[in-house]
Amino acid sequence: MSKKGILIAVEGMDGSGKSTQAKLLYHWLRAKGLPVFHTEWNSSKIVKQATKIGKNTRRLLPITFHMIHAADFADRWAQQIEPVLEIGGIVICDRYKYTAMARDGSRDVPREVIEDTYSFAREPDLTLYFDVPVDVSFDRIAKGRPSLKFYEAGLDMGWTTDPFESYRIFQGKVSEIYSGLVEEGRIERLDAEGTVAEVQSRVRETFDKNIDLSEVEVIDQSDRLAQNLSESEIDWLTYSEGEGR
Amino acid sequence: MSHAGKLIVIEGPDNVGRSLHTRLLSARLKAHGIATHIIGLARSELMGEIVKSRTADMHQLNWRTRSLLYATDLHDQIKHEAEPLLDAGFVVIADRYTLTPRIREQVRGGDGDWIDSLYSNTPDPDAMIVLHAGPRRLLNRIMFGESLEALNHFEAGMDLALSSSITSSFLQYQKILRNEFQEAGKERGATLIPTRHTVQEVHDRIWDSVRPVVEHMLQPIEGN
Repeated sequence: MSKKGILIAVEGMDGSGKSTQAKLLYHWLRAKGLPVFHTEWNSSKIVKQATKIGKNTRRLLPITFHMIHAADFADRWAQQIEPVLEIGGIVICDRYKYTAMARDGSRDVPREVIEDTYSFAREPDLTLYFDVPVDVSFDRIAKGRPSLKFYEAGLDMGWTTDPFESYRIFQGKVSEIYSGLVEEGRIERLDAEGTVAEVQSRVRETFDKNIDLSEVEVIDQSDRLAQNLSESEIDWLTYSEGEGR
Repeated sequence: MSHAGKLIVIEGPDNVGRSLHTRLLSARLKAHGIATHIIGLARSELMGEIVKSRTADMHQLNWRTRSLLYATDLHDQIKHEAEPLLDAGFVVIADRYTLTPRIREQVRGGDGDWIDSLYSNTPDPDAMIVLHAGPRRLLNRIMFGESLEALNHFEAGMDLALSSSITSSFLQYQKILRNEFQEAGKERGATLIPTRHTVQEVHDRIWDSVRPVVEHMLQPIEGN
């Protein structure tokens, strides 16, 4: 398998702030003129529809949930992630296979099964795990909401009938698996407490420490602006010939 | 067949800056007091909407059928717009003319000479420009502008099965297209202009090759 391009993943609990941080990282790299692409978990169009049906009818079981998310990932891997890596670009994945390990693992899908399903997805060059205390992320997601969604709360597992209690149990399991992955050295823990700006500077620091950008081709200014330039107007009255040369 | 007006043709692949430079050239000619009109592929009243809105269907067709539909589209514009306006002394600018429809099919196994024969009665260009750029440059423009999702399956030449990856396919396909455009351009006496320079530099080079053709029509640009 080729090791072209740079693959970055962000992981963490719901409410850990990772998506905000991933987008900021994306815009930072883009502003440097680098070829960078951002992609989110469960966002491929064709799979989204099936997921929605499965959720609404509550037909999804741990194994079909596992497969359908993998299908979404495989679609984005083929359509977006691999093509950008192949030309030496940077890809930021908001959630990667470790999310499957944490969530599907919490639903008792064996780790070997998950690893096998995702064996086509190489280890990223850097995976940031946005670590916040479970209480903090719980509050961000659960506070002020009358209820939680069936699968979001893990009610399909029948741990308890109380959605909030179920969510807490679910997130506890997810957090435990993530901690194990940190210990195994597969994902890098990042302290995600603090303001958005504080966390982002930690993100950039960790990025700079781990990632070598010297091989990534910077896109010419005029090509970056191509879309804006396509709306160019010239004032012919003051235009002097050959000025451009 | 001679006419009072002039026909300027600008050819080249997508994202090369063709439409931008067509528009700038037209604006400059207008500033010099010349009436202009722009034609191009999939712009006819007869066929334009159909061709544009049914891209996927168009690509399912046999190359001869597709070539004939594009030829219908261009002839509709030539008969209803270009020829009458050329007679009336307009400068007509074609944002793609007969080269693109041929090259696109030729690289897919179509018979280039047969396609050319469909256009044998079209007015000859008075000046022809082929804009070109490196495939990676075109890809960078797409990635930085409209993002990867905007990368069209056919624009990337995915139907040629050059590679299963859309980016690699795009790079290989555009390389083939670039060679074809340059070769066909040279054969027809076109001016080949790379668009790696600034908009103004490219415009100036286009103007250099158009100016001799329209020299006698130019009026000085005057302020109020």
